[in-house]
Amino acid sequence: MIQRLTLAALVLAVLAVLCAAPASAEPYLAVMTGYKCNVCHVNPTGGGLRNDFGITYAKVLLPAETVDNALDSWTGKIGDRLRVGGDLRADWTRNSAPNTPSQQAFSLDQVRVYADLTLIPDRLGIYVDEQIAPGGSQNEEAYVRYGSTTDGFYVKGGQFYLPFGWRLQDQTAFVRQVTGINMTTPDKGIELGYEHAAWSAQFDVTNGLANATSGSGFQVTSQVVYTKPIWRVGISGSSTQSDAGNRNMGGLFAGLKTGPIAWLAEGDIVRDDSFPGGRTLDAALLEADIRIRRGHNLKLTAEYSDPDRSVHNDQQTRYSIVYEYTPLPFLQVRAGYRHYFGIPQNDQQNQQLVLFELHGFF
Amino acid sequence: MQARTSALAPLYSITIALCSLLIAACAGNGEGLDGDGRPLESGGSPPPPLSADFASIQANVFTPICSVCHVGGGAPQGLRLDADNSYNLLVGVPSTEVPSVLRVKPGDPDNSYIIQKLENHQAVGAQMPFGCPTSLPCLPATTIAFIRQWITDGAPAAAAAATVTAHLAVTAIVPDSTEPVTGSPPQIMVAFNRDLDVSQLATHTVHIEKLAPGAAPVVTENVPARISAPQGNLRALLIWPSRPLAVGHYRVVIDAESSARFSDIAGQSVSIGAPDELGEPVLSTFDVEVVP
Repeated sequence: MIQRLTLAALVLAVLAVLCAAPASAEPYLAVMTGYKCNVCHVNPTGGGLRNDFGITYAKVLLPAETVDNALDSWTGKIGDRLRVGGDLRADWTRNSAPNTPSQQAFSLDQVRVYADLTLIPDRLGIYVDEQIAPGGSQNEEAYVRYGSTTDGFYVKGGQFYLPFGWRLQDQTAFVRQVTGINMTTPDKGIELGYEHAAWSAQFDVTNGLANATSGSGFQVTSQVVYTKPIWRVGISGSSTQSDAGNRNMGGLFAGLKTGPIAWLAEGDIVRDDSFPGGRTLDAALLEADIRIRRGHNLKLTAEYSDPDRSVHNDQQTRYSIVYEYTPLPFLQVRAGYRHYFGIPQNDQQNQQLVLFELHGFF
Repeated sequence: MQARTSALAPLYSITIALCSLLIAACAGNGEGLDGDGRPLESGGSPPPPLSADFASIQANVFTPICSVCHVGGGAPQGLRLDADNSYNLLVGVPSTEVPSVLRVKPGDPDNSYIIQKLENHQAVGAQMPFGCPTSLPCLPATTIAFIRQWITDGAPAAAAAATVTAHLAVTAIVPDSTEPVTGSPPQIMVAFNRDLDVSQLATHTVHIEKLAPGAAPVVTENVPARISAPQGNLRALLIWPSRPLAVGHYRVVIDAESSARFSDIAGQSVSIGAPDELGEPVLSTFDVEVVP
């Protein structure tokens, strides 16, 4: 009991400190709580390594049941300057599509480790995000960061994810596929960021994904988000100059909390001149996360994609229902079903997916 | 509290409107489109069946599966796999993740990065197609075998594909009429000079006939058999009698209603066996002698 009170006091203390500063989390959690990404994550644009508050939230507020002695003193810190963390996702999935034999498999979806080394407190740090499994090890993010990620300007230089729309856990979401910006497509360059009160803004200049082979061209990406306790709105834009053809895109996204439901919405439009004659694509997402009770979340998602607005009858939709149960600190169980709807002559556009996932994190 | 709620009323309305719009949104009916969602051109034909030539792999794999992501100005690793770009960005081009390994190394599938990524033994990053097997199916082994064979053949562009491939042919059948076999053979083996498309193979399309001595063949006994490909070897077929064969003269016959043509993974087919009196192809004849 005393330990619980201690943890609760710690949460309140951290909240008290962070409420004065701009504060976000996994998107639906951020909307549910009204926080900015940097309240729970070291990376001010969200995802990856959790900070003191993020770890404490994961131990005390997220799970259905808190457990005494469950890494009570763990905050991810090793000494004063080094912080580490990680995520492991193991799945059982069954895919079925018309005219195609079903596939089912246990798989290791991802094992990721993060580290952040503070060189000068609140000013200078090095951040690394490495996916070590499955397959070969792959660096996702590695950058030097200078400045304050909680209040004021900062600069990142190295390899990092681009800021564009909701940073969703599902990288195959239509909005993340159509834009090509997700947590599997980091880019190399610099980012100028600004965090103050309700405002977050980023301005990035990077190589551009399309230029990885040609070595010419660049990509400029920018995003501004305004966050209030029960709603937020953001606007994103990106322009890629490339020998392959230029690509410009814009997006609007928003979050709203209505009682126990966190709503996430995003709409993106892409003009891609690398196709002969050019092509305009769009995608939209609507997600409702219903907090059944502590540790229990029901996620309903509806998505829409038009791969070429000049072509009729080619639209795709996707609907998902996922139950997320966090029984204990650092452990989540997910079960879900997803149905794709597309043109009838393409089997893959009409597939169904059943998913069970174990997610361990620290 | 009431004032706050009324101030948020427009937000709730927008949320409900967005919900309704997205939930009501329908997928396209595909009318007037090909399998990739592109408008059908007049006189256009459906994609060719999958075989080990580039045009077929493009139409059946790269365009419908890979270019969902690997397309346009946002293509990961700058690798665009649409029909206009894929060949030039694949063959002989270093991979960006492991620059010492070519994306496609003609003649060497094992050291081609695309195969490593598809078979999940790449040095860097995730298996392709991205999200497999968690979010979508991985490519079947037979599909990867077609891509392997295309690379083995030198990864030619579509127009040159037919000129570099050898014709499918039977190179050996054991046992055959040249040498009697002592005791019942556990199986009959047929060897080919190229990898077969085993997906076309039906299991029970073959049987073994015992013949009475004499000039005209008279069938005295029918022995059912099954046909299979040995694991890991697509250049052989095994025919398994359902029971031991007694001493006598036999022939292996492919059922008339089944196709007697076998295809390799490049799509080339070959007819094997001369027709018997009923028109059924005879694959082999042999004698079983008593065990000394």
